[in-house]
Amino acid sequence: MKPEDLKDIHRRIKAAKAVMDNCSICPRDCRVNRNKGKTGYCRIDSRLRCFREMLGYNEEAELSPSHQIYFAGCNLSCEFCTVREWNEQPDAAYTANFDYLVERIKVRKSQGAKTVNLLGGEPAVNIAGILKLLGRLDSSIKVVWNSNMYYGPFVPEMLEGLVDIYLADLKCGNDECARKILGTDNYLRIVRGNIVKASSVGDLIVRHIIMPGHLDCCLEPTLRWLADTLPQAKLSLKTDYVPPIGAKYAPQGYTDKEDLQTALKYVRKFRLNII
Amino acid sequence: MKKKPYKRKPGDFEIRILKKGRVVMIAADEVLLDIASSIGTKEKSNIERKQNGKRRKTGKQQRKDSSKP
Repeated sequence: MKPEDLKDIHRRIKAAKAVMDNCSICPRDCRVNRNKGKTGYCRIDSRLRCFREMLGYNEEAELSPSHQIYFAGCNLSCEFCTVREWNEQPDAAYTANFDYLVERIKVRKSQGAKTVNLLGGEPAVNIAGILKLLGRLDSSIKVVWNSNMYYGPFVPEMLEGLVDIYLADLKCGNDECARKILGTDNYLRIVRGNIVKASSVGDLIVRHIIMPGHLDCCLEPTLRWLADTLPQAKLSLKTDYVPPIGAKYAPQGYTDKEDLQTALKYVRKFRLNII
Repeated sequence: MKKKPYKRKPGDFEIRILKKGRVVMIAADEVLLDIASSIGTKEKSNIERKQNGKRRKTGKQQRKDSSKP
């Protein structure tokens, strides 16, 4: 990193820390002082907590093998979250040791990692710690922002120029499903807005997980919106939905071949750039 | 079995074996991936062994058949 860039990243870290005095990083707008140990919706204070780092082969082919670094704490409550336990009890995760993480990134690169994949939980709620980590990375490392995209305007400002690929989840196709399954209001406006912003500052992959029984209400509107708004964007359709046990709204089945066939029919109809 | 489903705690892992024999690992970490890969290798070698066994049997059967007048 060049000295002027380093100076800029120090400025950004300072700004991200300051926001946590009265946290408004995400639309939850909890206004708690995370720097004093208070927690809001995401249940984390100002410390960056990491619960897993591994070389993952299950991400999109162009990103894999990818060095996945999982940070605890999330601002959504997706019923089908596969790491929900870490978001419900983020303080069970270790406080990140930056020297260790930087070292692991080097090791994983030597093991073949094409990308450093920041995920969680939700990386946005950990923006200050993540900026600190990014400030220590070699600029040759490709950074993937693997996010639910549910955050306020502050986050894109902080990330600009530091992220190579935005791997954006677009889970629901309407606000009603988002309210029930993800536990949030105003989902579409916020997430779609951030995806459009991301498309102008880095490579973008929009990821949609096919939920059984949600083809008409979530899959179709999502693909239609993508075709209308960002027709060139890369689309990744995931079929690895895992039904949560005892959920109130999330579908209980697994995605089958028929669901995938329907999804591919839409992809062809809307002429989407599927990867 | 407990009536209530088990709720994962940080550090737990969950593997589901579905009716059709599909195995689902929830948020697999590196240890689980290693287990999956070793099961995969073991499974592969089991299949190969079975196939070889069939082939051997077939060969034996063939010899037996050819020795018949």
